[in-house]
Formats: sequence, structure tokens, C-alpha cells
Amino acid sequence: MNLTVNGVAHDPLRSKAMTPLLDVLREELGIMSPKPGCRAGGCGACTVLVDGEPRRSCLLPLGVVSGTEITTIEGLGSPERLAPVQRAFLEGYASQCGYCTSGMLLAAHALITRPGAAVSRDEIAEALSGHICRCTGYVTIIEAVSAAQALR
Amino acid sequence: MKAVGASAPRYDGVSAVTGRSVYVDDVRPAGMLHVKALRSIHDSASILRLNVEPAARLTGVHGIVTASDVPRLIVGPLESQGIAGDEPLLADHEVRYCGQPIAAVAAETEEAARAAVEAIEIDYQPHEPFLDVRLALDPDQPHITPEGNRFHYERYVERRLRRGDVDRAFEQADVIVEGVYRPTMIEQCPLETQAAVAIPGSDGRLTIHSTTQALYYSMSIVAEHLQVPLGRLKFVGGMVGGGFGGKVDTPCESVAALLALKTGRPAKWAFSREEEMLCSSVRAAWHMEIADAVTSDGWILGRRTLTLHDAGAYTRFSPYGVNKHTFHLAGAYTIPNLAFNSYVVWTNHVPSSAMRGFGVTSASFAIETHMQRTADVLGIDPWELRLRNATRAGDITATGVRVPDPSAVSTLLAAADVAGIALPDRYRSLHDARAPDEEVPDHLRAVVSAGYSGEGVGV
Repeated sequence: MNLTVNGVAHDPLRSKAMTPLLDVLREELGIMSPKPGCRAGGCGACTVLVDGEPRRSCLLPLGVVSGTEITTIEGLGSPERLAPVQRAFLEGYASQCGYCTSGMLLAAHALITRPGAAVSRDEIAEALSGHICRCTGYVTIIEAVSAAQALR
Repeated sequence: MKAVGASAPRYDGVSAVTGRSVYVDDVRPAGMLHVKALRSIHDSASILRLNVEPAARLTGVHGIVTASDVPRLIVGPLESQGIAGDEPLLADHEVRYCGQPIAAVAAETEEAARAAVEAIEIDYQPHEPFLDVRLALDPDQPHITPEGNRFHYERYVERRLRRGDVDRAFEQADVIVEGVYRPTMIEQCPLETQAAVAIPGSDGRLTIHSTTQALYYSMSIVAEHLQVPLGRLKFVGGMVGGGFGGKVDTPCESVAALLALKTGRPAKWAFSREEEMLCSSVRAAWHMEIADAVTSDGWILGRRTLTLHDAGAYTRFSPYGVNKHTFHLAGAYTIPNLAFNSYVVWTNHVPSSAMRGFGVTSASFAIETHMQRTADVLGIDPWELRLRNATRAGDITATGVRVPDPSAVSTLLAAADVAGIALPDRYRSLHDARAPDEEVPDHLRAVVSAGYSGEGVGV
């Protein structure tokens, strides 16, 4: 079993094939930004990018994703060099308690970096519909994703 | 004053958007043990036998605590307000709700802790539960506490509010409008579940990472359970993954601390999502009956209410929430004759606690729905009914406070603007202060004019 996480190869991994990707990241690799909000695929807080596509890491056994490239929010940008979605969330106050933020950012990043025309408000809402924000900050979140397109 | 009106960057904004914020569940001290709890499977039962020995013998299990390990088992969250506690940290001879913690295990892994919980032997004698708050005044229902099913306030069983002559108001009414309102229980459901990590120090101090919303309050609760001076505890908080009221409860900290002391190793207790949904505190369910004495042209002369607040199995913050509820039952309106009776009712449901304006949101929901109903019954514009009865400058509230600067009228007019509703000019000309030539009916003149302000719906 092996993964490339944020550009760093981890080969071999100690975790077993049925270990959820979420636990591989948090417990073996110490990458804490994917959050165990529900461990049932219901909240979106554990979302990471698997070969560029947003996926729920709590539902993915390591065996299914072995050999892929994983991106977590740590790999998207740093405090000194924020990615457009990160800058837009920061400037638009689109993060309140912050627990859903990493998952939201990764899903939003995948959406706005797809080839094609700018995405609409409805498309943003659709893309983030599986992500729960219990602080109910959806308005600022959708506005930030929209603003991030212009920052690219 | 340079911050007022300016948009300041969030102090933790960069760490939030770069995934660097450290929440309690992210803390990983070396040698950390994982805690799981044995929880009641019954709504109401006596515990006949509890044997943790088979669990203690399992590989990877380092410590188990039960009620007898807690220096002070019952600590009331409102003791500082003179309200005695009734809830044990771990159940001893009885359980009063499904999910109530009875024993807690600290083990090398979550799996080992879970297996140990399964190995604990327990025998229950189940009892008929009391679950329907509407039967709170029925003496034939099972009593779930030695004091019955109702909390006693200092003078009366219920929280009472009386103002004016409510009987006369109902005699003079053209119409009496009655309604029943029953908002259900709600789980606060933060994305981060309740969690605590307790780390024993070589100097005898305990460091506790807590998801609490109220750090010093939670610290005092743990100090009381442990019977140690505050100086023995160091609380680390400030990063809360959503709370919405439920994270004042301090449900994990004391147990994690006891297990850390017992084992000499760091101990983490984090609720699973299932535990969060099934047995962490909730916003209470309420049963509210309202009767308004009204005139056919839309003046509210008097109001009677009966509130049954489903506190769940233990008192927690309910007497405070029901105080707030009762003091707000006139809403943003001028009603000079009032009789409110509000009961804190114990049931075998999961205990309720704080959630965003608790006590007040239920009152607001019931009152505003009732205003709509009254308008429908009278056949008058609901905006007119609200504006007519709205609190005005100089009015006196249900609790006897004269309000110099109410905002009910201006808020209603602003709400109409936002909603795009064109109100008649005679409404538009109203202000928070009455005009000198404005109609003041006899029932208000008698009390100089009464009223209300300070609707606190957000915390």
C-alpha cells in the first residue's frame, strides 16, 4: 500500500488495506485537517482530493486508493502562499468554527479549477451540497467560492 | 474606537483556511489512552449489579472508573445560583435515560476500549419510563425522581409571573383565542463532537484540552468532581468546532481526568457521532398553551399561558432556561394583564441543555404563531395586530421594567421593507414613541401603558 500525499511519497504504508483513508492520514501520517465529523459519509468534513477529485476519506479503504495522489488542504497552499479559494474564504469571513472548512475548500477548489466556463451560484451550491456547515455560513461560503474564481 | 465599523481580519483566519487549527481531537500526546463508556440501554432502570472485573482483565485495558471512583459524584451546573445538583457523573444505583454513562474504560486503542465496555457485566431492573411531558400534572404517572417529576422553584413548583387582573381581562374580552404549540427537541449537532484529552503532569497538575464553550466554568465543574483546587488544573480551549450551547455541558472532561489520574497516562474521551446524536444534551421539547383575551378590533387585554418544559432526566440548566422563557412570554407586545405558569418537567428523555437563546426561541415561536392565529380569528391584518400591540416608549414589561427605547415598531416596519410588503400609510406613520394624538385604549391607560423589549434570541 502506498500513497502520494501533497507531493510526498509514502511507500510502504503501515496501515492495512481496509483502514479508512481518513485514519491513514490522521493516525499514520499525522495530517489532521481532514475531520472525523461523522465517519459515515454524511458531513463532508473529511473530504480530500483523490487524483484531483473530492472524495470522503472516511468511506475509502486504503486498498481502493493505494497508488493515487492525495491532496489535503495542507497541500493546497501555505499561510504565505494561499490558494485562491483560501484567500477568498479568509477575506470573505467564510469560515466560522472552521471544522468544515478544509473539506469545503477542497471541494470548491476542485470545482473552480475544472476546465470550462465560470461556475454559477447554483453550481457552487450543488457542488457543496454534501458539506454541512452547522454554523450556517453557507451564504458567505458560496460568495467566497464565487469570488475565488476571479482571483485565479 | 478604531475597530468599530472596521472589518478586522480574524485572528485565527489563516490557520482555519490552511488546516492548521488544532482541535481537541487532533491532540496526540505520547501514550494516549482511548476512553469509551458503558451506557444505559434503558430509559429508566435500577442497576442491580455492576461487575467491571472481566473488562479490567482484558489486554490493553489500563483503567476503569465507576461512580465509586468519583470524589464528588453530583455537581450541579447551577449551584452558584443556589440550585442543587441531581445528576451523577456516572450512574450509580439507577439510570434515568437511555445512553446515560455508567462506567468508563481507558484502553490502548478505541477497539480495545469498546471490547472492554462489552465485557462489563450489568444487571438492570427496568422501570416504566415517564416520557410524555403533557402528563406532567397527572399524579398517576410513574415518579422518576424522589421529588416527583417537577422541579420546585423557591416558592412555587412552577415559575410564575402575574401582572394586572387577568380574570377581569378575560371577562371583558370579545374573543378568547387559544392555541397549543409544541416545538420538538433538537440536537445542537456541532460537526466536532464532544471531546476532552486529559494529560497528567509530573508536577501533579492535569492539563485538560476541552471543547468547552465556557472554559473557566468547565474548569470549576471538573475541580468540583475531582475535589482538587483550581490550581491543579490547566485548561486548554478556544478552538471549538461548533457548540451552539451544547458545549457548556462539560460531559467528557471529568471522566477523562479521572482516568488520566488513575492510569498516569493521557486519556481522550471523544463522543462518536452516534453518541452525539443519541445521548448528548439537546434543545428541550416544549408544550405551550396560550390563551389571549382580545377585543374585536385587535387589542390584547390579557394572556394566560401554561408551559411544560421537557428537561429530560436531570435538571442541568433548565430552571434558568424556563425563567428566561417565562419572562419573555408577552413577546414584544404590550399586554397589561398576565398569568404565566411554567414547569420544569423531568422525563426519561436525554437531558436538555443550552442551545441558542434557549427558553426564548420556544416563546417567540409560540407567540408569533399565536399572533397570526389571533389575526385570522379576528379577520384583521396580522401586521396591524402586531403594530397595534407593540411595545412603545415608556411601556412597562411583563417583569415590571419601564422601557425607554423599544424597537418593536421600527423593527416590524423594517421587516416589512425587507420582505417587500407595502404597508398602509397609517402603519408607516407609527413610531416607537406614541404620538401625542395617538389612540391609547382604556386597558393601557390604566397601567400608564405597558410593554416589552429585549428579545434575546441569539447567544
